[in-house]
Amino acid sequence: MSAAVPQTDPASHAELVTLSIDGVEVRVPKGTLLVEAAKTIHTDIPVYCYHEKLGPAGLCRICLVEIDGMPKLQIACNTVVADGMKVHTRNPRVDDGRRAILEFFLLNHPLDCPICDKGGECDLQDYAMAWGSGSSRMIDPKTSKPKAVDLGPTIVLDEERCIVCQRCVRFDQIITREESLRTEDRAVQTIIATATGKPYVSDFTGNVTELCPVGALTSKTYRFRSRPWDNHRTTTSCTQCSVGCRMHVDERGNTVLRTMSVPEDDALSDSWLCDRGRYNVGFVNDERRLTMPLLKQDGAWVQIDWADALDLWAEKIKAALAAGGPERIGAIGGGRLLNEEALLAAHLHRALGVENLDHRIGTQTLVHHGSFANHVDLENANTIITLGRPPSQLAPVLDLRIRKAVSRNGARLISAGDYAADSFVPETHVTTPAGLKDAIGANPGRVAMIWDGVFFEGGPELTAAMHDLPAATRVDRYVLPETPNGRGAEALGMIPRGAGLGTGAMFAAARDGKLDVLSILGANPVLRYPDRALAEDGLRATPFVVVTDLFLTETAEFANLVLPVCSAFEKSGTTTDLAGDVLPVVGSVRPPDGVLADGDLLVELAERLGVTLPMPDELEAKVRELVKTPPADGAVPAYVRATAAAPGGALRVIADAAIFTGGGTLAFDTAIRELHARPHARINPATARALALADGDPVNVAGDNGTTLYDLVVRVDERVAEGAVALLDGVVRAPLNALGRAPAVRLEKVPVTA
Amino acid sequence: MSTTLITPVLTKGIGELNLREIAVYREQGGYEQLRRAVVELSPKDVADICNGSNLRGRGGAGFPTGRKWSFLPKDAKTRYMVCNCDEAEPGTFKDHMLLEETPHQIIEGILIGAYAIGCDHAYIYIRGEFKRGYEIMRDAVQQARDAGFLGENIFGSGKKLEFTIHRGAGAYICGEETGLLNSLEGKRGEPRLKPPFPAIKGLYGEPTVVNNVETLAYLPYIMRNGPEWFAKVGPERSPGYKVVSISGHVVKPGNYEVPLGTTIRQLIYDCAGGLRPGRTFMGVQPGGGSSACLFEEHLDVSYDFDSVTKAGSMLGSGAMVVFDDTTDFVKAAYTLIRFFSHESCGQCTPCREGGHWIQKTLERILAGGGVDSDVDVIKSAAHQLTGLNLCALGDSIEPFLASVITRYEDQFRAYIKRTPAPAVGAAS
Ligand SMILES: Cc1cc2nc3c(=O)[nH]c(=O)nc-3n(C[C@H](O)[C@H](O)[C@H](O)COP(=O)(O)O)c2cc1C
Ligand code: SF4
Ligand code: SF4
Ligand code: SF4
Ligand code: FES
Repeated sequence: MSAAVPQTDPASHAELVTLSIDGVEVRVPKGTLLVEAAKTIHTDIPVYCYHEKLGPAGLCRICLVEIDGMPKLQIACNTVVADGMKVHTRNPRVDDGRRAILEFFLLNHPLDCPICDKGGECDLQDYAMAWGSGSSRMIDPKTSKPKAVDLGPTIVLDEERCIVCQRCVRFDQIITREESLRTEDRAVQTIIATATGKPYVSDFTGNVTELCPVGALTSKTYRFRSRPWDNHRTTTSCTQCSVGCRMHVDERGNTVLRTMSVPEDDALSDSWLCDRGRYNVGFVNDERRLTMPLLKQDGAWVQIDWADALDLWAEKIKAALAAGGPERIGAIGGGRLLNEEALLAAHLHRALGVENLDHRIGTQTLVHHGSFANHVDLENANTIITLGRPPSQLAPVLDLRIRKAVSRNGARLISAGDYAADSFVPETHVTTPAGLKDAIGANPGRVAMIWDGVFFEGGPELTAAMHDLPAATRVDRYVLPETPNGRGAEALGMIPRGAGLGTGAMFAAARDGKLDVLSILGANPVLRYPDRALAEDGLRATPFVVVTDLFLTETAEFANLVLPVCSAFEKSGTTTDLAGDVLPVVGSVRPPDGVLADGDLLVELAERLGVTLPMPDELEAKVRELVKTPPADGAVPAYVRATAAAPGGALRVIADAAIFTGGGTLAFDTAIRELHARPHARINPATARALALADGDPVNVAGDNGTTLYDLVVRVDERVAEGAVALLDGVVRAPLNALGRAPAVRLEKVPVTA
Repeated sequence: MSTTLITPVLTKGIGELNLREIAVYREQGGYEQLRRAVVELSPKDVADICNGSNLRGRGGAGFPTGRKWSFLPKDAKTRYMVCNCDEAEPGTFKDHMLLEETPHQIIEGILIGAYAIGCDHAYIYIRGEFKRGYEIMRDAVQQARDAGFLGENIFGSGKKLEFTIHRGAGAYICGEETGLLNSLEGKRGEPRLKPPFPAIKGLYGEPTVVNNVETLAYLPYIMRNGPEWFAKVGPERSPGYKVVSISGHVVKPGNYEVPLGTTIRQLIYDCAGGLRPGRTFMGVQPGGGSSACLFEEHLDVSYDFDSVTKAGSMLGSGAMVVFDDTTDFVKAAYTLIRFFSHESCGQCTPCREGGHWIQKTLERILAGGGVDSDVDVIKSAAHQLTGLNLCALGDSIEPFLASVITRYEDQFRAYIKRTPAPAVGAAS
């Protein structure tokens, strides 16, 4: 519907023009492209290079139509409708033009259909069947080209199959703005290549495999693994981050083979997926998945059956209640659960009087902030301000909206504080209150403020200009949750109320012997909680720790009881996106035998504890109601990230985020090992000079708590403040949180050994 | 040899005077018309003069120059004038000569044109291979700058007119005006999708006029002598003078400046000295490599834009290539096809794939592997790729090939029947 006229200037929507297509009268807004006008009467004009989101390029010439009064056939993709235009999309002349173009395409196209990933969903196959001539008049040998060019960690190019529609190149120019793909050479030798012979590295590479109308660009994770007619498709929401992109899941033999974007999803994904959401699916079938409850006995894991496991959990809770009361019980997690599960977890515990509940395991303070501005609103902002870690690493596809707003709609991008937005579009990075005020200027227009939800020292002062905006300025606020369903978990009750303890306080209480049972539901605080030692001490000191997870994670290692649970591909329910909308999650595969969903466990546990949980339909209504309820003021206690300068030549630490970090679904996905973020130490050029370090140097990072992280790579970046070092959070082999909260560190160059 | 036909305007003084020196050029009245335009006339006055002359573009398409200028949006703040000196059309060597011999005339023409369209920054895009011409232009621009004819405050008028020379890297496609603009911006030399046309969205996205060297070089003379002086020469809708590059099987190849309306026969026989003794005329390409071959029955066609089009070819860049009876038209066709196929930017399907297909087929025919169906397949392939391309290069593949394959099919058939195979070689 709206997709039918995307090339239209919204201002001209009122004005309609009337034309005829194959004798049918069509009325469409002025400025509509013929190819889109035809869709309104369900006439499909074939296209290769044209794409709704990329616009016309006029390269492939397959979209030929005849227009009365024009001597030559015209391309429908770059023809704007006009009043009285008479268009013919099917007649002998048009058909012959299409036949000719297809003949040209097939001259040198390899006969790969039987082994090509695209076979069965290939536009070249389909159009050739519809309009092609069946045999080739060229009797000379086809031109041969390399058939498996490794473009980068994710994509392989078959140059022979490429029809040079340049969709991939234009995606990388127009949508991501990264410009790492281009055409090389010319004439019949024209090929797709990376800009500088470097690998094709981007967080959005997978989209080009979908845009590619033929089987030239293939994903390493899917190459030669299946044919489309053997796949079974389900449509769900991605649960890797809080954008919640609509996503098709293709499964075969109970294995998730690939995920695909949903072209109609204008509201959230804008029809794209990031590579984390797209490619991080291999973990579902990883052989390290847990399939039986594990009980730690004398330091070793023993498999036990579900009934015993659940009984034990219930008993421990009952015992704690009896011995010390609900204050001696806590639960952490929810941000990686479904809405329903988070609500059940909160409901169950509150029914027992437990208030020590928290979904936050990182540095984030607040998620739900009362704003329901959506992605399309962001696209229409005039001034976009980012505060905190870059959106590209917390909500990747949202960042494409920022790029769109800036590059196409002329929005200004301002980043404030320690972090640049780093968004492949021009930005103004400011670090002082006056700088921000200046950058915003007198006429900000519509403002969008994107924040990572972390309170930091000096934050209120830095952002004072936000209170001085011209009267009636519309400000849309976005907080990017650290976990995919952080917003849902918070709204649904996984947040301490009254005297309840938050995550950090729970660990401290546990360390001091004040907790008896700690249930960690789909969370990995040992890797993600800012003070690893505290988390570990707390877990060690708690008499009974239950962890639900797919794998034996860093946190699960500290548990007494580990319960194997379903991934989001194996259960159904809903999740809440960063804009506060409830999105459907639809399971596509059966869980491994013996694995339950967190929700099922909670139901079983409630039964054993005599707690009545809401029935499914009540549950759904309650989720929707709570998610839409703005939080009460002051409901959210704050932890503040200290930014005080480190003493005596040591560097203060800025925590960087990257989408390919984490210990759970990522660490246990071997198929995309190459994508795992390499831990870095970003420093200012002045710092680099002072320490005699250069970009690419290996360094060790020695913390003031006696912990050292080994073999990080130096990145010299002028946007990092002097006296600071930005280190990547959430890397299993060099965990930032091991340095403790607000550490002061020294960088030590790793001596090069011969 | 009759020289009465030859009417030197742009070519006047070449070979006699060192017009590369600004002083010499000024002695001939040079830069006086630029001064007059800038100091005495409004841009509109100058545009009106150009319009009145009915000057048509000498770059290939023959588009009326004044009309082209009039497409620029009236309210545009920035406009660019770009002079196309990429001259790579096979057989064309007029701009090359003008560049090396009369750089100041080109500068003056460009600046007058720039002034007329309200542009304060003009560019000249020079084909990469014209290294000497580039150096000459560079020195001439310095002289003009020193004299205060370009740069800030020209002729003390307070007006600014910047001038930038850009050297290409030797791709035919960069002569196509939008390929040129991309290249000038530092991008791949690929033609742009139109619309939007350069007049609306050209260099750096701003309204732009691209004109050929020769087109612009006529402006000072049209200014000096008045528009009627130009308009009354030759046919009404295709008037004025033209530098014609004549090459191939003639006794005196070279550039000849003549009034449009001179016949093809006069050009070949009276200007270029006719064919070598004992040879027979077999055909002529009247407008560069992109034009269809004309034959004996066309010798009396008037050499002007409309008449040559009516005869089934085009005047194009104004380059005649003459073929006598020693010509191997299969090799001639192959050479041109190989050129177009090699120079295709590769963006669009018919040109990229079709040209290559025909090239491979001709290669096989020349190598002795031809089959009977080849002739029809070549004709059909060339025909079906025409009119479907993004730019005019693709449409340049068919005309010469189709015209000679129709006329001299026997030569193609002879190759197909011939054994043993002759070697693939360059054309005549
Ligand atoms: C493949 C191709 C090559 C061209 N090469 C040239 C060239 O070298 N010089 C030129 O002036 N015009 C060339 N043209 C024509 C230009 O696109 C354009 O029409 C011309 O520069 C306009 O100038 P005019 O209006 O003064 O003729 C070429 C066109 C095509 C399609
Ligand atoms: S690789 Fe695919 S998307 Fe890219 S130009 Fe080739 S056919 Fe088009
Ligand atoms: S942006 Fe987020 S929701 Fe979208 S595909 Fe990536 S991880 Fe999934
Ligand atoms: S016709 Fe040929 S040269 Fe012109 S754009 Fe198409 S491929 Fe490029
Ligand atoms: S879809 Fe129109 S030219 Fe490719």
